[in-house]
Amino acid sequence: MPKVEINGKELNVDLTESEISQIQDLLQRGPSITEWGMFDVMHSEHCSYKSSRPKLKLFENAEENYDYVLAGPGEDAGVIDIGDGYCLAFRIESHNHPSAIEPYHGAATGIGGIIRDVLCMGVRPIALLDPLRFGTLKDNPHSQWLFKYVVKGIADYGNCTGIPTIGGEVEFDKSFESNCLVNVACIGLGTIEDFRHAPSKATTPGDYVILMGGSTGRDGIHGVTFASRTLTEMLEADRPAVQIGDPFTKKMIIEATLEAVKTGFVRGLKDLGGGGLSCALSELTGDGGTGGDIDMSKIFTREPGMNSFEIMLSESQERMTFIVKPEGLETVLEVFRKFEMAHAVVGRTNDSRVLKVHDGENLVVNLPATSLSDAPPIIREEKRPSYLDALLSQKTPEPTLELEDILYELIASENICSKEWIYRQYDHEVGVRSVVKCGDGDSGVLRIIGTNKFISASVGTNSKHCFLDPCEGAKGGLVEVCGNVLASGAKPLAMVNCCNFGNPEKPESFWFFSRAIDGIADFCKELRIPIVGGNVSLYNEDEVSNTAIKPTPVIMIVGVIEGKENIVTLPFKEAGNDILLIGDTKAELGGSEYHSVIYDLEGGIPPKVNQQKIKARWDLLLELYENDYVKANHDVNKGGFIVTIAEMCFKNRFGANLDLQDHDIYGLRDDELLFSESVGRFIIETSPKNLDEILEMAKKHNITVNKIGVIKSNPEINIKGLKKKQIKLDINKLKHLYDSTIPDLMEI
Amino acid sequence: MTIKIAVIQFPGSNCDLDTIHVLNDVIGVEASLIWHNHFKEAQFDGCVLPGGFSFGDYLRSGIIAAHSPSIDEARIMLKDGRPVIGICNGMQILTEAQFLPGALLRNDSLKFVCKWVNIKVENNKTAFTNKMNIGDNLAIPIAHAEGRYFTDNLKELEENDQIVFKYANEKGEITEEANPNGSMENIAGVCNLEQNCLGLMPHPERASEKILSPKNTTHGKLFFESMIEFIKRRTS
Repeated sequence: MPKVEINGKELNVDLTESEISQIQDLLQRGPSITEWGMFDVMHSEHCSYKSSRPKLKLFENAEENYDYVLAGPGEDAGVIDIGDGYCLAFRIESHNHPSAIEPYHGAATGIGGIIRDVLCMGVRPIALLDPLRFGTLKDNPHSQWLFKYVVKGIADYGNCTGIPTIGGEVEFDKSFESNCLVNVACIGLGTIEDFRHAPSKATTPGDYVILMGGSTGRDGIHGVTFASRTLTEMLEADRPAVQIGDPFTKKMIIEATLEAVKTGFVRGLKDLGGGGLSCALSELTGDGGTGGDIDMSKIFTREPGMNSFEIMLSESQERMTFIVKPEGLETVLEVFRKFEMAHAVVGRTNDSRVLKVHDGENLVVNLPATSLSDAPPIIREEKRPSYLDALLSQKTPEPTLELEDILYELIASENICSKEWIYRQYDHEVGVRSVVKCGDGDSGVLRIIGTNKFISASVGTNSKHCFLDPCEGAKGGLVEVCGNVLASGAKPLAMVNCCNFGNPEKPESFWFFSRAIDGIADFCKELRIPIVGGNVSLYNEDEVSNTAIKPTPVIMIVGVIEGKENIVTLPFKEAGNDILLIGDTKAELGGSEYHSVIYDLEGGIPPKVNQQKIKARWDLLLELYENDYVKANHDVNKGGFIVTIAEMCFKNRFGANLDLQDHDIYGLRDDELLFSESVGRFIIETSPKNLDEILEMAKKHNITVNKIGVIKSNPEINIKGLKKKQIKLDINKLKHLYDSTIPDLMEI
Repeated sequence: MTIKIAVIQFPGSNCDLDTIHVLNDVIGVEASLIWHNHFKEAQFDGCVLPGGFSFGDYLRSGIIAAHSPSIDEARIMLKDGRPVIGICNGMQILTEAQFLPGALLRNDSLKFVCKWVNIKVENNKTAFTNKMNIGDNLAIPIAHAEGRYFTDNLKELEENDQIVFKYANEKGEITEEANPNGSMENIAGVCNLEQNCLGLMPHPERASEKILSPKNTTHGKLFFESMIEFIKRRTS
């Protein structure tokens, strides 16, 4: 690690030599120890996006190209106009490293951070979603420990703050064994006026700077620097870098902040997250074109004797900075007093464009406000890993097991089985908005009280597919998550992403990131989905075993449904109705659950995305909705479409008679047909009386739609039209297997 | 006359706005959100201690809120015969304040549990159940980590008809499988001797609108409608 010299003493900094000389050139003097610390955190990968920024330029500018986007990347959260005067703010973020060493507080403070990001857009946080990755659970106490406490951390924090956790996604794969992924997403709802009230900038000289909420302590110092390294053997030493969550204070901050914003006297609002005060103060003044004078002695600390370095770098949780109009100071302080929230006026803004922090007589920080956010980008080398060719050429073995037994095994596999064990622990109904509850739909659906509008949101991606082909895999993730929202009846409106990848300093790791971004940029442009925010988490590697995680570009999509009657859910509704498969099935078993569960294979040919076809399928689906033809919908995901159909049978204990003869247009093997994970397919339930019209509409869109069967009232799936033989599956047995896996592993 | 209901907002309450929404928009009474330190009983015909958390439920669920000045006000209200209901965390507060018998312990699963359950009406004479029939099986959700009801005086409760609800299965049978948290005798709600104070762990405010119910029910409304009926009868 490079060293800098201050007053004859050496200080370790996570800066490159060129960054150090650039800083010295800019200031024309040696920075103070506090200033070095601030540069250090603000130039970290986590705060500066220095490796990812050049690549992220590929994303279309959402604010310029979509008139309903009110705030795009670079803001604390993306904001879209959803009509009737309402807006949605949403964001997704990672809290991987803290959760890997302290799962409970790591996950909890992840939730805390994402709530603050949405709150500082001036709107009420109304929903949480959590995409997670762990090592496989079976025979792995470490993975079970991480899983159990991450879920508990999310539950305890989310439940206490009264924000429902309405959805999530989890995959188990050995590459995440020591570096688990905890991504957290939050959606906020408010009026456009609320949002306009509270930009994250200090635009006007003379305003007061108020710090409100928790006290500043020694926890979480250098958290972002820690997040910008790979996990090492020094885990214990890093534990103090994990913050401790306080959901009660967070709940109070939410109420006090929303009430303060309503006064109209708050001119700027910023949460204290990664980088603490250094980040908040420099971004508020830097982005607002102002400067600030801060009196450090006013900042309330958790313990005496904290120095300016510790105070400016602390990442203690539950703090917010307010920029308040002078005439409204008393009114805003009165709100904080009512909620008994600790607060202090710590300084004022001015027109100097310089951020100054005074510690008594000493000026400990004296920096141009924008200098901290100007970390120079780094162009990283990228190189396609040579091992991929061998993986891609892996062939699917001839099955030795009966197809029935394979299906029973798949439905019980960790990645396919029911996730009820998780969502039962989440209060997913608080707020009285949850119309489609966990397990009943492909996405969570929330109502907007007082309107006939509904919000649909989903998260996810497929890490195994991304590992084999990051570009197609990332697109596949988009197809899948958009598919979830569409399957609920909503049109996908906007996207945020959380890119979890390995060490960018290794060209092979960076190649995965680079190709995934190519895929996302291309897909979103063609399918007209604005990217309104993102988070990049690099350095997800286990240095002990020297393995990177499988690339995981998590996608979050929100959509809006107009009218209660247009909400679609997953369970089959009526025996006798038709089962239709939208989209065609190809021999795409690479990275499939079938390969991994049955043969312990990671390779093969992963699914490819045909963007025009996907678009046509979506258009068809929306047209079917307009005609009210769709009674149930579930997108085809892991394990293939028989798993999808089984899941649709479960709730009402239906069965199905299937005939697959017409669906196989490519001459596939039986296992390829049944277990392929070709993306962008849907299973829909429709009435037989509409079949002809539906097929006619499909023809018009040039889309493959097959009637593959009929819903039956007896709980049995019969499949004919296969090459080898007929299959009979017992729904009750499938359901029992589906429900038992996680409780059996976790409840000892 | 206009019926006025107070919904007490403790620091950290989180079903307060949900309850206000149901009372104002679904039931159609005048309900106000009152900050716990500002609550004055004389201005209201009844009050609701909402669910969620209070003071983060640090230390023990409901214990800090049980020492709020609003609890002294509620005590006056109860003595005067006006109705007070505690939902979920509100019930935990009412037991901690000893307005209601018993205590709520950690669920036997040791985990938070959020799901729809059924509860069977055991007593329809209380201020909050007069629109129900004994034996009615209500669909209603729970969401709690400390909901396992325990009392030393089960016999007394039974004799005094203070057990108001029991967890049941969909057929209305009171079985062990239907007990979501290990509550003694499947108890989901109890009342005071005078029957104007009710505490229950399930959330009626989440079960008052068809759109939120997996079974298209609105059983939660019955609690609030009973409360209004009780107030009307009392004051007429």
